[in-house]
Amino acid sequence: MSASPIRDQFAQTMLEVGAADSDLVVLVGDISHFKLQPFAQACPGRFYNIGICEPTMVSMAAGLAKVGLIPVAHTIAPFLLERSFEQIKLDFGYHQLGGNLITVGSAFDYANLGCTHHCYDDFALLGNLPGTQLFYPGSAVEFDTLFRQVYRRGRLNLFRLPAIAHQQTWNNDDIIPGKAILVQEGSDLTIITTGPHLTTALAAQDELRQKGFHPEIIYIHTIVPLDRDQLLASVQKTRRILVVEEHVFHGGLSSRVLELVRGIRDLQFSSLCLSNEFATHYGSYEDQCRRVGLTKEGILRHVLEKFSKN
Amino acid sequence: MGDRGEVILGNRVVPPKEEWQIHNAYRRRIVDMVCEGKDGHIPSAFSIIDIIAVLYQYYLKFDAKNPAWEKRDYFILSKGHGCLALYVVLKEHGFLTENDLNGFCQPDGILGEHPDATKVPGVELSTGSLGHGFSMAVGMALGLRIQNRNNRLFVLVGDGECHEGTVWEAANVANNLQLGNLCVVVDWNGSAAQLMPRDDLPAKWKAFGWETHVIDGHSVTELRQALDRIAFKSVGTPTVIVAKTIKGKGVPLLEGHGTWHHRIPKPDEYKIIMEALA
Repeated sequence: MSASPIRDQFAQTMLEVGAADSDLVVLVGDISHFKLQPFAQACPGRFYNIGICEPTMVSMAAGLAKVGLIPVAHTIAPFLLERSFEQIKLDFGYHQLGGNLITVGSAFDYANLGCTHHCYDDFALLGNLPGTQLFYPGSAVEFDTLFRQVYRRGRLNLFRLPAIAHQQTWNNDDIIPGKAILVQEGSDLTIITTGPHLTTALAAQDELRQKGFHPEIIYIHTIVPLDRDQLLASVQKTRRILVVEEHVFHGGLSSRVLELVRGIRDLQFSSLCLSNEFATHYGSYEDQCRRVGLTKEGILRHVLEKFSKN
Repeated sequence: MGDRGEVILGNRVVPPKEEWQIHNAYRRRIVDMVCEGKDGHIPSAFSIIDIIAVLYQYYLKFDAKNPAWEKRDYFILSKGHGCLALYVVLKEHGFLTENDLNGFCQPDGILGEHPDATKVPGVELSTGSLGHGFSMAVGMALGLRIQNRNNRLFVLVGDGECHEGTVWEAANVANNLQLGNLCVVVDWNGSAAQLMPRDDLPAKWKAFGWETHVIDGHSVTELRQALDRIAFKSVGTPTVIVAKTIKGKGVPLLEGHGTWHHRIPKPDEYKIIMEALA
C-alpha cells in the first residue's frame, strides 16, 4: 500500500500542535513510530511507544486526561477500538474524560492482512458513547483542520484515517465539525458519502446523468454529530437517498441517515455499504471495493436497481 | 515499636488497641450501611479497611474541602467492590457526610456498590470492572511526571483482579517507564487462589521488575514500615506491597471465602457480627 497523505499529515499536525501546546501527549501501539519522530524530537517526554498492549494504552491515555493532559492514542483500528472497547467505554466515556483516538486500518484498508486487521463497525461501537464525536477525514487538510478545532474539547474524539484520500480540495473555512459539504447540486437523487468514496460517487455522476438522474452529492467528514439540517434539506428536495460508505449498515452513516429521514413520506432510501460478514478474500484494497460493489459501476448498478425513475 | 508495644508514627504514638478500635468502628459502620442499603460486599471491605485507613491517616496529602487540590496524592481503589471501606474512611476525613453514608444504594444517594468518581468527592476513578483502575493510574503517574509534579499515587488492587491481563500489561509498562511515583498495594486475601491455586504473587511482581514487599496487611506497623521504605522518585522502580489479608477480617463468621462475599446479614447474624467487632 502506498504512503497515505492523511497519515503523513497526522504526523505533521502532531508536530505543529504539539509544539504549540505542551499538554499534547501521543501514545502509539508500535505503529507510526518513525513517522512521529519529528514530534518526539520537538516535544521530548511527550511521545511513548507503549508496545503491544492496546487496552492499557487506552487506559493510560484516559489517565493522562485525568491529570489534565490531552492524549492522542494511535494504532490499527481493530486493536485500538474493538479489543479496547471496554477501556474506551469506561475509562473515557464513564469518566467523561477528553482525548483523541486516531486509527489507521479501518474497514479493509489492510486488505491482504486478513480479517484480524479489518474493522467494519467502528462507528457503530463508538457512536453510542455519550459525548463522543466521530470523524472520517478523507483528505489531509480535513484531518488537520478538524483535529485543531476539536482536540481540546474535553470529550472523546475518534479520527478514522483512510489509507486512500479523495482528490477534492476545500477551503479550510469550509471544514467545520458537524457540517456536511455540498459537493454537487442535483435535483432527484441525494448521494451521501464519506471517506474515499467521494471519489467513487463523483466518478459515477456522468453516467447517472446519462441514465436520467441528476445526483446531488453530499460529503460527510463528521459522522457524529451528523449535519441534520443540510441532509434533510437535500432529501426533501430529491426524495431519493443513496448512502455510500465503507462500514456495516447498522451504526454507520447508513442507519444514521435512515433514522434521520424515517418520518418523511414518499421517500426512497438505499445504502451501498458493507454486509455483516468477514471479508475473507485476499487482494488489494481496490479488489475488496470491487467485490462489494463500492465502485463507479457498482453505484450505477445499485441506483438503477433500487430507484425507479417515474 | 515502643516500649509498651505501641506503634510510633512520626510524632504520634498510637496504642495498637486504639488503632483497632478505630478500624473496628469502620467495620461496624460498613455492616450498618449494608443492612440499611440491602446490598454490598462486607468481606471485601473488611479485607482492605486497615490498608485504606493507614493510607489516609498517615500518608496521603489531601484537602477534603478541595478534593481536586492539585498537590494532592492520589488513591485509587482499583478493586472497586471494596468501596465501602473507602466510603467510611472518606467520611472520617471530611469528604463525605453521615447523610451520604446513610444514602448508600438509595435512589437519591451518591454512593453505590462501586465508586463513581463523577459523583463522590475524594473518589478519583470510577472502578468496578477489574483491571482498569491500575492501568489508568499508570497513565496518571506518567502524566504527573510529564508535568513535573511530585504527587504520589497509591493503587489498591485485588488478588483476584490480578487475573486480569491488563494488570500485567500495566505492571510491565510501569516498570519500563520507571514510574517511581507509583505504589501498588495488592490485597492478597486468597480470592484468586480459589480459582487458580498457583498464586505466587510476590514472584510475579518481582518478575515484572517491581520492588516487592510482602507484609501482613492488617498490621499497622508492617504497613507503615513498608510504606516508609518507598522513595517515591519521579524516575525509579515502582513499588508493590503484597499485603497478606483475610477476607472478612475481624469477624470469624465472615472470614474466608464463601457465601458472605455479597450477602446481607440477617438479624441474628448482625448481632454476632457486632459482638465480634465490639
